[in-house]
Amino acid sequence: MTANTAPEAALGVLPKADGSAKYSHAGYTITASVNGPLEAQRKDEHPNEAHVDVIVRPAAGVGATRERHLESVLQSSLSQIILVKNFPRGLIQIVLQIEETPENDYVNTKLVQASVNFPIMPALFQTCILALLSAAVPMRATATASVVAIVLEGEKKKTVVDPTPKQLQTAQSVHVLAFTSHDELLLAESEGDFTVQEWDEIYETAKGICCRPQTRKSGAEMVLDEADVAGQADMRQFIRSTMEGKVAADLHWK
Amino acid sequence: MATAPPALSFSRPAFAKLSPHPFLLASLSQSDSTTPASRTNGRAPNQDRPFQIHTSSLAHAHGSALVRLGDTTVVCGVRGEILPVTSIPQYRPATLYDVEQLDAGGSVGLGRGELKDYDLLVPNIELATGCAPQFLPGVPPTTLAQKLSTRVYSLLHSCNVVDPKDLRIWYHPPQLATDEDDKMDEDDGQEDQAAKPELKAYWVLYIDLLFVSFDGNPFDAAWTAVIAALKDTKLPVVRWDPDRELAVCDSRTNVSALNIRGLPVSCTAAVFLEKEHAEGGEAHKNKYWMLLDPDRLEEELCQEVVTVVVDRSEGETRIRSIEKQGGIVIGRELIRGFVGIAEKRWEAVRCAMAKDIL
Repeated sequence: MTANTAPEAALGVLPKADGSAKYSHAGYTITASVNGPLEAQRKDEHPNEAHVDVIVRPAAGVGATRERHLESVLQSSLSQIILVKNFPRGLIQIVLQIEETPENDYVNTKLVQASVNFPIMPALFQTCILALLSAAVPMRATATASVVAIVLEGEKKKTVVDPTPKQLQTAQSVHVLAFTSHDELLLAESEGDFTVQEWDEIYETAKGICCRPQTRKSGAEMVLDEADVAGQADMRQFIRSTMEGKVAADLHWK
Repeated sequence: MATAPPALSFSRPAFAKLSPHPFLLASLSQSDSTTPASRTNGRAPNQDRPFQIHTSSLAHAHGSALVRLGDTTVVCGVRGEILPVTSIPQYRPATLYDVEQLDAGGSVGLGRGELKDYDLLVPNIELATGCAPQFLPGVPPTTLAQKLSTRVYSLLHSCNVVDPKDLRIWYHPPQLATDEDDKMDEDDGQEDQAAKPELKAYWVLYIDLLFVSFDGNPFDAAWTAVIAALKDTKLPVVRWDPDRELAVCDSRTNVSALNIRGLPVSCTAAVFLEKEHAEGGEAHKNKYWMLLDPDRLEEELCQEVVTVVVDRSEGETRIRSIEKQGGIVIGRELIRGFVGIAEKRWEAVRCAMAKDIL
């Protein structure tokens, strides 16, 4: 079981890559490296824009169909927010290594799972964004993602943010939503059994996590307080404060 | 608008090949408002291609379906193979009592767990058949093929279409002394559990999809083929022979159909943007069209795709899956509206399936 802990991140963890990030949240730990712009391979070369290449490496074993699917979802979302037109015929390569996944207390844990693993998507997404920021790849906007599930508790339906593996087993539906920093819906993946009304509620919940309005004018303390009140992480604020911390550390010598 | 200049006019196929984006745009944005916008394939933006479904065409499969969606043709064959529980690693024995409790308790998670844990459903999609110019025959599975397989696999599990009950093969020991004492001396080595039925094997369903021709929208075609083939699947009635440790079937004609829950139908649309090379910031002002059931040309030109899977077989609309990626045009309102379009699609697919059965 994983507690609903606050996310943690470190930037620039890999010395040789252009940019890198390590991110851990809700039992997942992921390291990403970003290299780019590089020269694209002949088959990936596009005359007008850069090719975004995402490689997902699982915690154990070699990547299979599930990883290909995750890669293509990330690739299509990230090439929307990276300014790919700035680097014609270029390549931006993102490599994600999954280091830890939450312990599953269910007995038959399989090493290689073919099914789409929804809960890992937000962690992959956030790691990508942090690594891209660390590599100073020009982007139109940042983006944040979250996973929300509807779980039956007795007779009542309950919305759970960052569900545990056990909750996922019995969940009615699982949803991953990503929003850009302009509050646009970038990615929506849902599966299970739900209605339009339920999806609307999920949308509101996810939007609350991913794009809470900026309250910086009223001071940093206010932001902290609000996050505590809601009892949920504010992903956009988290990415922002991580970057601020990194910049402050880098400019410390001045 | 962007029509080819009269001095240098190309034939339609040449225009489409040379500059596909202006070609589709010219077709969609008609200069006079009297003619409705139409796509290069002659359909209106929200017009789909009708499904043609034909089942039981493969002789050696337990169930099969051939689905045509315009020029996209896919063949799906379902074949059951018997998997004895002794060859399952990490097998946890279940008694009939346990299983009945689980099934009665409506605990979907555990039934699903059985299908998932022992991999009883194995979908595979083959695109490398020369079905379209971009897929070379005889190469390893492309990213698209792997992605489609993953989506079909996860949707099969999340929709619970297959009932695990149908896939269990039980051994019912002969009731030697039912009305007498349970602890009669029994000469087979079943010890005290002799009277209880035992789960001896599972059916594994190999669901193979072959694209015969490919003209866009592979997922809708593939998913409809999977559902039609599963509905057509009839597994032989088998009994477990304890002496030979084998599942044997008595006759070729004694078959039983699978119970397929519901009728999930998938519906896909792609978003075509007016400006091909628009910078991200202009995306809001960029005019767009939502093209229902995109063909191959349209799929190449569209980044953003939305797929909704709905099921109305219980009266009210239940959404089984939403997948939207690759852009920012489709927001909450558009997805809500798209569910309405998917509902119409559901009716059409239901009619197409009913027509095949008649």
